[in-house]
Amino acid sequence: MHIPDGYLSPSTCAVMYAGAAPFWLVALRRVQAMLHARYVPLLSLFSAFSFVVMMFNLPLPGGTTGHAVGMGVAAVVLGPWGAILAISLALAIQAVLFGDGGITAYGANCFNMAVVGSLTAWAVYRLISGRSALGSPRRAVAAALGGYLAINVSALCAAVEFGIQPRWFHDANGVPLYAPYPLAVAVPAMLIGHLTFAGLAEGILSGGVVRYLQRADPALLRTTAPENATDPLQPQPAGGWRTVRPLWIALAVLMIATPLGLLAAGTAWGEWGVEDFSNPEARQHIAAASAQVAPPDAVPSGLERLASLWTAPMPDYAPAFLKSRSLGYILSAMFGVGSILLAWLAAGWAARRLRGSHNRPPSATLV
Amino acid sequence: MGRQTFAWFTQPPAVGDPRLSKAAGFLERNVVALAKTLDHAARADETARRRGLLQKLDPRAKCVGIFAWILAAAATSRLAVVGTIFALAVALAVLSAVPVRTSLGRVWTGVLVFTGSIALPALFLTPGAPVCRIPLLEWNVTAPGLLAATRLVGRAETTATLAALLVLTTPWTHLLKALRTLRVPKTAVVILGMTHRYLFLLLGLARDYFEARRSRQVGRLDNAQRRHAATATAGVLLGRSLALSDEVFMAMRARGFRGEVHLLQDARFRTRDGLALAAFVAVAALGLL
Amino acid sequence: MKEWRLLYELRDLTYRYPEVTALDSVTLDIAPGERIAVLGANGSGKSTLLRVLAGLSFPNVGSVRFDGTELTEDTLAGETFAFAFRRQVALIFQNPDVQLFNPTVFDEVAFGPLQLRWPRGEIVERVQLALRQMEIEHLKNRAPHRLSGGEKKRVSLASVLVLDPDVLLLDEPTAALDPQSQSQMIDFLAENHGAKTIITATHDLPVVGDIADRCVVFDAGRVAADGRPDAILHDEALLLRAHLLYRHRHRHASGVVHSHPHLPGPHRHD
Repeated sequence: MHIPDGYLSPSTCAVMYAGAAPFWLVALRRVQAMLHARYVPLLSLFSAFSFVVMMFNLPLPGGTTGHAVGMGVAAVVLGPWGAILAISLALAIQAVLFGDGGITAYGANCFNMAVVGSLTAWAVYRLISGRSALGSPRRAVAAALGGYLAINVSALCAAVEFGIQPRWFHDANGVPLYAPYPLAVAVPAMLIGHLTFAGLAEGILSGGVVRYLQRADPALLRTTAPENATDPLQPQPAGGWRTVRPLWIALAVLMIATPLGLLAAGTAWGEWGVEDFSNPEARQHIAAASAQVAPPDAVPSGLERLASLWTAPMPDYAPAFLKSRSLGYILSAMFGVGSILLAWLAAGWAARRLRGSHNRPPSATLV
Repeated sequence: MGRQTFAWFTQPPAVGDPRLSKAAGFLERNVVALAKTLDHAARADETARRRGLLQKLDPRAKCVGIFAWILAAAATSRLAVVGTIFALAVALAVLSAVPVRTSLGRVWTGVLVFTGSIALPALFLTPGAPVCRIPLLEWNVTAPGLLAATRLVGRAETTATLAALLVLTTPWTHLLKALRTLRVPKTAVVILGMTHRYLFLLLGLARDYFEARRSRQVGRLDNAQRRHAATATAGVLLGRSLALSDEVFMAMRARGFRGEVHLLQDARFRTRDGLALAAFVAVAALGLL
Repeated sequence: MKEWRLLYELRDLTYRYPEVTALDSVTLDIAPGERIAVLGANGSGKSTLLRVLAGLSFPNVGSVRFDGTELTEDTLAGETFAFAFRRQVALIFQNPDVQLFNPTVFDEVAFGPLQLRWPRGEIVERVQLALRQMEIEHLKNRAPHRLSGGEKKRVSLASVLVLDPDVLLLDEPTAALDPQSQSQMIDFLAENHGAKTIITATHDLPVVGDIADRCVVFDAGRVAADGRPDAILHDEALLLRAHLLYRHRHRHASGVVHSHPHLPGPHRHD
């Protein structure tokens, strides 16, 4: 998951730095505002903790071990903004001091793991844990699922970054300059490894730590629990809306634009069709690249139906790869989530406009 | 994806490694992993304090110069340029008393195992004219596949060597000083410094927790118990980290800290640092021409 | 004519943590230049008292005044008073890993003066002086995690002495030190430091006579006794009540009261 230097083109790296930067800024501003001076030692110690936990061997079912990134634990204890900063700092030390993850790819690694990972882990944790009690088993399950999904969404981001490399960065003869596998190979290869091993490690760590804290130190779980809406580290929806809104809009636009961009740019794709999936030889290679787990030979039927949402309205001139189901379901999911986000943002905006025009205090209108 | 480059060897041996059989237990493996991480950092610090060419340079010149080379190695489309930068990096390592065979050798094997295994399928999967055929398996190695795989491995090896060269010739505190003057926000530099400082404390604590658990352990743990041991250790460590952060905050406040950090800047950039930086950048620019 | 001023005035001061009451209606006066040993078993409220005196924790009930000004979050929010107070009052934490949070020894010692915005030139000069004073110049560029326990304690001292404070608050300064470092620390505290007020929290009775002219005994958050060291140290019943003495149950010393200042011996238990 830690992308080394040389896998992504410098321009991709620059875009990823640019993608992570606004999140760093907003996170820093919010954490500063909420914690005042205290954030300096808190982030330092938590980043050090995240780094140490990344070193742990976590036993997985079946006798193997794996490593976690710790974004699940960070998001549950610190909330998403603190987690973004803490994980970014831990990744910086890993990259510089231990060569784990590249320096040019640092922005990409932060975007995938610290930003997308923390936000996903936190959203899933909050969604599933709901208003359950601090000691409720539901919280442990929510944290485990949050960690599991977070690492997989991070892996998907990394896979997309890998996958677009051969399309956009190749020499005159079409030979890839950076990561050589197209989306149709990179996405399943990354996801298979993470849906199984890395995801489990993250899930086990997040769930296990929450279960431990429930018994030993439940106060640490209070920060991100809804009962305590004024707690310093928790984002406050009302006041903080303005700083976060641009991020959500950017995310929604990115999610919608990516599949469309591929569609627009994709006419020359396809040297490596998705037929690779049914080709036993190629499947074996993909399996080797993804920790000896064979890729699925057929796309599950539910996803197939979902994918048709995407492929159905595709015009005939669309490149073949866009009609592939495995890619199609991912792209349509992205498109769908992006659209929902935008709709939600628009509804929120409209609601506030309406409310604002009726309930504005008289003094404000006079001034 | 796993881990790579020099961290590769701070990781414990994989399951089934004869040096540490599974029966020796997973607690030991965690103790070993944490101890090795501490050891690795100590060794890097030791090399960084030797007398050598790069050690004499201002850390700012080194940071910017090496970063320029990493960028050049990442941006060029010519393998020859990547190869030249790699050779220059090795030459600098020799001149800087960096143990090439042990320190850099580790980096190289790590990258080869990790990136190599990722690049391998590309040899066969990339469409193009076949160069040779693997007997028995009947797979074709294609020319574009060979080129793409070499590019990936070459770039990864070169950039990893450069990054290693920077840490192996620059003590962490000098790196922090360089960041201060390279317009990285002060707060970020202070937090990075504190993170690094407490990293050692927490690594040591985690190792001790695993050690303590091991000393009380009779017989083998089953898988669920191991998981429990690992996550409980993480939980204890988390509680300790947060308690420490409260105390450290008090210690900072007691000495006048009010949220904004103030640092000493000692900016002494000598002519030779300027020349070295110019040389670094010139090589990078040449490579990109 | 200027009347005799008190340095600290604590009035009915109570400090509660969510689960326990650490200080319970404490009333205490401290005059400038006093050398006080705050005695008490673990959990008796000594550390909390030092944090209150250092303006880091604030009482739930009652008040604490420093040189006439009440210490509250609000008074310490003002820069002028905060800077003057932080320079005058220095706290040395029991755990040096808490006290030493900077990347190098030099940065550590320079931290206080930098936060108080001293002029650059003066900072470098004062830091050198403090390093020389504690005989740790050779450790200047070391990282704190590479220091021994005794070295860490000396760096801690240098990091606050650089500010030339008038009040020195020390939390268990001899805990977890080897005998040599321990005796160096006691020598330092026993030296004449001019008009400095030195308040030491400890449960190490044999050193009290050397480092203090006054003893305040704490038991469960309350002041159990306040007086001259020789009087307090001879009050066996008081010390037993405050858990500062104990009777050995094992055979080496059955019936002998240990940790007594007049029976120092090599087998001190602390």
